[in-house]
Amino acid sequence: MRGVLKIVLVVAGLLFIGTAVAYAQLPEPRAHEFPYLGNRGAVWVVAQLHILFAAFILGAPIFVVVSEILGWKNQDVRYERLAKEVTKVTVILYSMTALTGGLFIFVLLATYPQLTAWLINHFFAVFAVMYPLLFIFETIVLYLYWYTWDALQGPKKLRHIMLGVLLNIIGLATLIVIDGPTAFMNTPAKFAEGGMDLKTFIETTATLWDKMNNYSWWPLNIHRTVGNVVFGGFITGLIGAYLYLAAKNDEDRAFYDWFGFVGNLIGVGALLALPFAGYLLAYELCDYDASICPYMMADQLSMFFEMQGAMVGLIFLGSNYYIWLSMKRIEGLEQIRMKTTTLVLMASIPLVFMLIWTKFPIPDKFAFILPACWVALFVIAGRFLKWTVGAQTLVKVAFLMVIIGNAIWMTPHAFVATQALAPDDGSLSLPHGELSLGFVTISWGDLALMPAKNAAAFTLVFVTVVNYILYNRALRQGRITWGTIDFAAQFVLVFLAFSAIWTMTLMGAVRELTRKYFHVFNLLYDFTPESYTPTLAYSSWVFTGVTVTFYIIVSFAIVLTLRTGKEKAPAEAAKGVPAVAGAE
Amino acid sequence: MEAQRSFIGVVVKRGFQGIVAAVVMWLASRYLFHFPPVFQVMFVLYALLGTGVFILLDAPSLSPVSGIKAIALLVGFYVVVSLVFIAGASALPQYDPMVEKGKIEKIVKPKLAATEKGKIEELLKRTKELDAESQAILKRLETLGGEKAKRIEASIGGGASAGAAPRAGGGNLVALGKEQYELQECYNCHKIGGKGSVKKRGPVLDNIGNLMKTEEMKEKLLNPRAWMAEGFEKEYNKKLMPDKYKELMSDQEIDALVAYLSTLKDASVQTPKPVKKL
Ligand code: HEC
Ligand code: HEM
Repeated sequence: MRGVLKIVLVVAGLLFIGTAVAYAQLPEPRAHEFPYLGNRGAVWVVAQLHILFAAFILGAPIFVVVSEILGWKNQDVRYERLAKEVTKVTVILYSMTALTGGLFIFVLLATYPQLTAWLINHFFAVFAVMYPLLFIFETIVLYLYWYTWDALQGPKKLRHIMLGVLLNIIGLATLIVIDGPTAFMNTPAKFAEGGMDLKTFIETTATLWDKMNNYSWWPLNIHRTVGNVVFGGFITGLIGAYLYLAAKNDEDRAFYDWFGFVGNLIGVGALLALPFAGYLLAYELCDYDASICPYMMADQLSMFFEMQGAMVGLIFLGSNYYIWLSMKRIEGLEQIRMKTTTLVLMASIPLVFMLIWTKFPIPDKFAFILPACWVALFVIAGRFLKWTVGAQTLVKVAFLMVIIGNAIWMTPHAFVATQALAPDDGSLSLPHGELSLGFVTISWGDLALMPAKNAAAFTLVFVTVVNYILYNRALRQGRITWGTIDFAAQFVLVFLAFSAIWTMTLMGAVRELTRKYFHVFNLLYDFTPESYTPTLAYSSWVFTGVTVTFYIIVSFAIVLTLRTGKEKAPAEAAKGVPAVAGAE
Repeated sequence: MEAQRSFIGVVVKRGFQGIVAAVVMWLASRYLFHFPPVFQVMFVLYALLGTGVFILLDAPSLSPVSGIKAIALLVGFYVVVSLVFIAGASALPQYDPMVEKGKIEKIVKPKLAATEKGKIEELLKRTKELDAESQAILKRLETLGGEKAKRIEASIGGGASAGAAPRAGGGNLVALGKEQYELQECYNCHKIGGKGSVKKRGPVLDNIGNLMKTEEMKEKLLNPRAWMAEGFEKEYNKKLMPDKYKELMSDQEIDALVAYLSTLKDASVQTPKPVKKL
């Protein structure tokens, strides 16, 4: 029954796209008024919901296949079971992706008919051919992947894994194709060096490839792919947490404890790359038009970035706290020690890297050489110096550094909505003075600049890596009993998933808002009354509304998985016995 | 029981340390480093956040719950987290959309008018506006109080920009130009009178009226490659100054902007010398 429903949903999604393409050919379509939310709000909510589902169904298969391979290579049934259960949720959410996608294009056509028609006509091959084809392939391969899971076991496993790889290729292709028009709206391709102006170029000689291959296309592809894995990882953590809460026996608890751990590991692992991917995206946006940068960081959107800093800080705090809770229950943790040099290095990073990058801004070569030397110095010193510190101390300093790192990340030039026009009396701005440490001085103003932010981001990443190293050392030397993690850890997982989704809706809005009063930046004006930037407070209600809606649907999907999984819950799952798990 | 008692001990100990840290940070930021009050609050909040985190680090294990209780706990948790996020976002300074709406109106209206369809809509609106205007004039005649007239003027103009731009009344070219400077957000990269770009993205323009002729400024705006501010080689090579104004601004708007820029003749402010490139 449910299979039929899904197919109906998918077909409906396709029909929507078909109708949209046809509709776009009609002359002068008229806009409708959306009640309550307004037109922009309606598109905003539906588009964001669609992206959330899409992010999961694209992100999850990436590590599902990896997990399947791990299970196959190491003969570890836990990985196999994890892969399968995540896929089950993916299949359910896939139909939601199709449904919201259809709804999205439908709402878009009803509310912004001219823009939508314009976009579809400019990317006709994308909307009429490539996207639907990829979508059909994706559907077929996903269902094949899911329904042949049990049949393609043993010697046929490799074939199943190949299907999974194919699924990922198609998924990535879908993302890349649709990112074309998306990125185009932010950074429409300019005609190389003078000559033709933007409008003439786009409306006359620009080929589809010219339009697709714009400045922010690849940075967006990369950022979204990595972001999707983060997102998929944290949702996996959420699934683990839910199923842990619902687990009836120690066996299941042991499995879902481990499940949540792996989800968090995936989320955090990919998270480490995100600041850099985000930096690349911002860099390309600014390279396209340098006025976008101050608009985001210093003008109307600056407080959105303040909020992003807070969210990223919370996510790092949460994931490190989860590592700590995982570590706390390992027997023999008291004996684990690490080199004092590591601790000193960790504590020195924000200040030292900030000074280096202030003196030698990235991409100066010294901006890479000096930090590398600094780290190498401590690694070498660690070889000779015998002093060590206990795990407890190290973790405490690590958390202190996360808070300090985040404090630097979040220090704005001024607490005003528009930095460049901060009040003259300095009543809301960083003071002009400086902190003298004898051998160096830092001016307060530097705290609000990019070198400081980079140092802060690097601190968060570094601390998290050290925590994981510590965790691994504890695993190798101590004993872990899966299923015995602090109950609070499940709430940390829930929190991480919630925060990751919220951040994503925040940043998606930021990217859209950088277009200002344009539909297509610098090219197509938005003449509707809703072309202004909504306040952060209002936006936060939308973010929360979207996040909660998504959460309710995902929770429902997980419960469905749980219900159907009951009958054949494999008994061969991880036992509640202590396992020396250094297997990652 | 045992764990609970020791946890209370932890809370007391960490709470005390946290308060000490908060007080020290507040005193230092206020009296030693002279941070304004918002930043003092920020420091105190970080100290409190740190306190919370360190209490959590030493918290005893939470005992498991299940069934309805677990679901209730979850839902409660979501509600709390949602509210905290919304509260956080709402506590930050907010950009006033009215200000931006006023800006957008001024930028977008002429463009809309330029489109065929826009023209018809404009006609319809014009009749309505004329009607409203005559009403307003009638009212003004009635009261003839300076106060009220000012208020009406302000309401017609919409929220002005956040800066100190005077209203562009009476078709004054310089005032219109100043408005264009705000509308095109040149202030994000340039400084005039010490206001604008917190980071040194582009040169200050205080004395640009003495350094460039109007024709040259126009050339710079239409094609930023044509001129380079001395000492900004790196920025020039990275093409920081956008080359979009020839497409986004009408001739009149550019003329007005240039007229405004040529009034900037404050020789006391070191303004980079323009160098002809093309
Ligand atoms: C994204 C940043 C940015 C924006 C926005 C921007 N500029 Fe510039 N501008 C620069 C930079 C960087 C330079 C110096 C390098 C160069 O000359 O190209 C410059 C140079 C200039 C100069 C030459 C100054 C001199 O001393 O030689 C003038 C005049 C100027 N800009 C005017 C404007 C006006 C007017 C606007 C708004 C319509 C504007 N700029 C918007 C970055 C910007
Ligand atoms: C740890 C740091 C970061 C996290 C956790 C993060 C997370 C995310 C996520 C999950 C998305 C949505 C991806 C998608 O839509 O598929 C996103 C998008 C975005 N991020 Fe980040 N990001 C981080 C750093 C940055 C930085 C440093 C910047 C820029 C300064 C940035 C700019 C953006 C922009 C502009 C988008 C919009 C892309 C879109 O949704 O279409 N991010 N971010």
